[in-house]
Amino acid sequence: MRTAIRILSLLFPLIAGSWTAQAQSYYVYVAAESEDQVAVVRFDGAQVEVVKTIEVGQWPTEIEGPHGMTVSPDGEHWYLSIAHGLPYGKVVKYKTGTDEKLGEAELGLFPASMQISPVTGLLYVVNFNLHGKMEPSSVSIVDPEMMIEVARTTTGIMPHGSRLTPDGLKHYSAAMMSGELFEIDAMTFEVTRRLHTGTGKAMPAMMADAEAHTHKPGMTMPMDDGAKPPKPTWVQPHPLKPLAYVANNGIDEIVEVDLESWTIARRFKTEGAPYNLDVSPDGRYLVASLKAAGATGIIDLSTGEEIARIANSRKVTHGVVMSPDNRYAFISVEGIGGEPGSVDVIDLQTTTLVATAEIGKQAGGIAFWKMER
Amino acid sequence: MVPPTAFKRIVPLVLVLALMAPLTAQAQDEGLKIKVDQPEMTLTVGETAQISAQVVDAYGVDQQKRLFYFSTNRRAVSVSRTGEVTAHKPGTYALLVRMNREISTQVTVNVPYPPVERVTIVGTPHHVYEGTRVALVSEVEDATGAMRDNVTVRMTSSDPSVASIDSFNRLTAHKPGQVTITAEAEGAQTETALAVVVNPIAQVRLSGGQPEARTGDVLTFAARASDDGGNAIDDAPILFTVHADPDDPLAPSASAQIDQQGRFVAETPGFYTVVASAGSLSDQTTVRVEPRNVRREIELIGQGAVGEVHTSDLWVWEGVDGRDYAVTGTWNADGEAYFWDVTDAATPALIDTVTVDARTVNDVKVSEDGSLCIISREGASNRKNGIVLLDCTNPYDVKIISEFTENLTGGVHNLFIYQNHVFALSAGQRYDIINIDDPAQPHRVGSFELDTPSHAIHDVWVEDGIAYSSNWSDGVVMVDVGNGIAGGSVTNPVKIGSYAYPSGWNHAAFPYKSKDTGKFYIIAGDEAFPDGKPAGWIHFIDFTDPQNPKEVARYEVPEAGTHNMWVEDDKLYVAYYQGGLRVVDISGDLMGDLYKQGREIAKYQAADPKGKIPNSPMAWGPQPYKGRIFFSDMNSGLWIVKIKGDEEKPGL
Repeated sequence: MRTAIRILSLLFPLIAGSWTAQAQSYYVYVAAESEDQVAVVRFDGAQVEVVKTIEVGQWPTEIEGPHGMTVSPDGEHWYLSIAHGLPYGKVVKYKTGTDEKLGEAELGLFPASMQISPVTGLLYVVNFNLHGKMEPSSVSIVDPEMMIEVARTTTGIMPHGSRLTPDGLKHYSAAMMSGELFEIDAMTFEVTRRLHTGTGKAMPAMMADAEAHTHKPGMTMPMDDGAKPPKPTWVQPHPLKPLAYVANNGIDEIVEVDLESWTIARRFKTEGAPYNLDVSPDGRYLVASLKAAGATGIIDLSTGEEIARIANSRKVTHGVVMSPDNRYAFISVEGIGGEPGSVDVIDLQTTTLVATAEIGKQAGGIAFWKMER
Repeated sequence: MVPPTAFKRIVPLVLVLALMAPLTAQAQDEGLKIKVDQPEMTLTVGETAQISAQVVDAYGVDQQKRLFYFSTNRRAVSVSRTGEVTAHKPGTYALLVRMNREISTQVTVNVPYPPVERVTIVGTPHHVYEGTRVALVSEVEDATGAMRDNVTVRMTSSDPSVASIDSFNRLTAHKPGQVTITAEAEGAQTETALAVVVNPIAQVRLSGGQPEARTGDVLTFAARASDDGGNAIDDAPILFTVHADPDDPLAPSASAQIDQQGRFVAETPGFYTVVASAGSLSDQTTVRVEPRNVRREIELIGQGAVGEVHTSDLWVWEGVDGRDYAVTGTWNADGEAYFWDVTDAATPALIDTVTVDARTVNDVKVSEDGSLCIISREGASNRKNGIVLLDCTNPYDVKIISEFTENLTGGVHNLFIYQNHVFALSAGQRYDIINIDDPAQPHRVGSFELDTPSHAIHDVWVEDGIAYSSNWSDGVVMVDVGNGIAGGSVTNPVKIGSYAYPSGWNHAAFPYKSKDTGKFYIIAGDEAFPDGKPAGWIHFIDFTDPQNPKEVARYEVPEAGTHNMWVEDDKLYVAYYQGGLRVVDISGDLMGDLYKQGREIAKYQAADPKGKIPNSPMAWGPQPYKGRIFFSDMNSGLWIVKIKGDEEKPGL
C-alpha cells in the first residue's frame, strides 16, 4: 500500500505537468560517435541546450565510437555501446545525473542499439558488425547489474534496432543485410520467429554493402526475383497493440508487422531512407528519421499517411526518441565530416522544428532520460 | 497536424496507465520468492546437474511461474534454459535464477580443481658435483591432462647430509653419495635418483669480454672448467655474477647485469667485476665502463604548422619531378590530407589539400615510384570507409583516382603499399591485400587473419616480401607475402612466426637487421593509456631464428608513451607521444634497457603556441629522409629537424 501511495504521489505531479507541457524540462542523452562524447541535452519547451558533456573514450588518440544508448526503466542508469575495441566493442554503464562510470562488458563487433527488458531486467544489445563481411551476427544479452554478458543469440547479417515489446517478453531486431526481422524470447534467449521484410523472396546479401547507412543511396543488391533488398534498419513495437514497425531503409518504406499473425499488415511508402523509428506513447504517431532526406517524417498510424515531413538542421538524420507526454520528438542528426552533430526538437502539435542544439560530431544514439518541472 | 486537444485528453490517461502497469505487476508479485532446493552445489569439470527451483508465495505454495537461468561466467559454468548446469572450469561461480528483475536468487557452483595426476622432475642431471648447486624443476599435470602452475611442489632429499634441498627446491651437493629426490604435490609424488660425485673441477677460467666498454655495450664472456689434467669439464655448473662499483656511489641502482650465457651490459659508468664460479672455485675479471657519450643536439629546420585540426601520420618522398614532398593526414577533423613541398625544408609549403568524406585520415602512404598516394578513411558519413587512391604525380594538383570500400566499410586504420599492392586493415581483425596494378580498378587478391580467440590487429609494414603486423595481445607476426621463405604470396599469405608479450599493448612493428651483429630483430612498439596518459615502451625481439624469437632489450622512456617508429642506419627514431621525437643508438648487440644505458642520442619536443593544443608535444610518427628527420605531431603539424653534425643526403 505504501508503494502505491508513493507511486501515486509521483504520478499526480506528472499528470498535472502534462497539461502544461511548456513548463516541463525534458532531458535526453545523445552520443556523438565521432567525438567520443555523450551530451546531456535539456529542452524547456522553448530553448534547448547542452547542459553537460561527458567524455566516454578511454584512448585519447583513438575514436572509439559511442553508438547506441538507453536509459534503464527506473531511470537510474544509462548505458552506452562503444563500437570499436580490440577488436570487440563494449557496453558501458553510467549513473544518470552524476554520469559516473560504473562498469562495462565486452560484446561483439560494433555493438549498437539496445534496450532493457522491464521483466527480465536484462539488456539486449545488437552486434551490428558493419565491417563488411556478410555473416550472421548476434544479439548480446547482458546482466546490467553485474555487467556480464550472459548469452549471445545468433540472428542475421548486420542486426540493428534492438527493441522489446512493452511487456518485456519479446525482443526484436532487424537484420539489415539479410532483410529479416528477428524475434527472440527474452527469457529463453532463443530466436522464436523470423520474417522477411521486403517484397521479394528472402535472400541473404552476398556482397559487402553498408549503404543503408548512407545519406545518399546508390546501387542496391539484386534479389532473386528482381526486388530490391529491403535493408531493414530498425524495428519499433507499438506501445499498446501487438504491432511492430520496421524501417525498410533500402526500399523507402516502413512496414507494419502484425505480431500475432507474424505477417506484414501494411506498407507505408516513405521516401528518403527511413532509418530509426519511435512511436508516440499514445500509439498514434510514428516518427521516422529519414537519413537520405535529412528530414524527419511523422506518420499517422490510423491512416498510414505521412502527415508531416520536417527538414532537419543538417544532413544524415539518425536517431529519434519521443517524450513520454507525446509532445516532442528528439532527433539526432550526424552531419558530415567536421560538422558538429545536432539534436533537433520537433513539436508534434505544430509539426515544426522548434529548437536545435549542437553537440559533437556524428550525433547518433539518443535516449530519453526524464521530464522535470 | 496533431490536434492540440488530443494531447490534453490523452496525456494524463497514458501516464496513469503507464505508471499503474508496474504497480499492478508489483502488487501481484508481492510476497513471492524463488525457492531453490540446492542453493550451493559442487560439480567436477564436465559434470552436469539440474537446478530445482520454484516460485513460492509466503506460505511456500508453488506458484507455477516461469523461471529463467543464466550464468555470470558462462565459459566456466553454463546453464541451459531449463536449468541444467555444466561445469567447464575450476573455480567458484554464480548462477542466477530469475522470475523477473525484482525476483531473483543465486546458486553458487563450486568447481574444484581436478586432482593432481602426475608430478615430474625435469632436466635434473644424473649426477652433480660435490660442492655445487642445482635448481630443480618440476611439472605438474592434473587428471584432465592440463599442466598446472598453481600447485606447490615440495622436494626433499633422502639424505640431506649428501644433498640438501631448500624451500625453493634448490639442491646443494655436500659430499659424494646417493640420494633419492622426492617431489610431492597434492598427494601425487615421484622420485628420482641422484648421485653426488667427487668434484673433479680444479680450475675455472673466464675469457672473452674486454677490459673497457661503454654503457650499453654488450660483452660476451665464456667460462671453462677443467680438471687437474687440464681436461674440460663440459657439464660443470657455471654461475656468472657481477659485482658493481659504480662511479657514482650514492644510493646506486642495479647498474649492470650478466645472464647465464655470459652476456654482460652496464647501465652506468664504473668498475664491474665479472665472476664465473663452479662450486667453491671461481675466476673473475674487471671491466671499466665509460659513459656512452652519444648525446647530440637537434636543430629545428622547419615546420609546416597545422593548428586548426589534429595531425595524424606522414609520408615523405621524392616526387617524380625530383622535388621533395610530404603528405600528412588529419585526425577527427574534416577528412583532409595535406600535401607539402619540402624541397626547402626550412619553409615547407602547403601546396594542395584533398578532402574526402571522412573524419579521420589516419594513415597516408605513397608508392615506391612516388606517383600514387593512398589514404585511409574513418568516420565517413555513409559508413563506407575504405581507402582512397590519389594520383600524386603532381603533388601541387592531387587528384582522386578511385576508392575501394569492399569489406572495409567499418573503417581502415592503417595501410601499407608494397609492389603494387595495398595492405589495408579491416575490422581490426585482419589485413586485406588489394592489387593496384590499375589504380582505377583496385581489387582484393588476398587476406590474412589470425585464428586466435579475440584476435585484433593494429598495423602492418611490408619489407622484402614479408609482412610484419602488430596484433595487440597476439604480438608481432611475420607473414610471407612473396618473400618465398615459407612459400607465401599476396594471394596466399603464410605465417612464418610470431611473438607475443604479456601486456598485450603491441601497436607497431618494424624489422631491423643489425649490420654489426647480423642479428635480425623485430622492433615492437606499444600503445597504451593505463591511467589515461600514454605509456609503454619499445621491445627488441631477436627474430634471427623466427621459430624461437626472444625479447632481449627495451627502450623505455618512463614519463611518456610510444607511438610510431622508423629505423635507419642503426638509429631508431621513435615518436614518443608527449615525450616528443627520440633518436636512439641501436648499434651493436642489444640487451637490457637502452634508455638507462644512455643510448638516447637526441630528443625534440615540438611545441607550438598556435597548435591545436598549444605548447603540447604529441609526436605521432617519424621518418628519416635525406639526412633530416621529419615527424608529425598531433597538435602542431609537420616538423623537420636535424641532428647537429649529421650530413644531409641530398642524393638519396
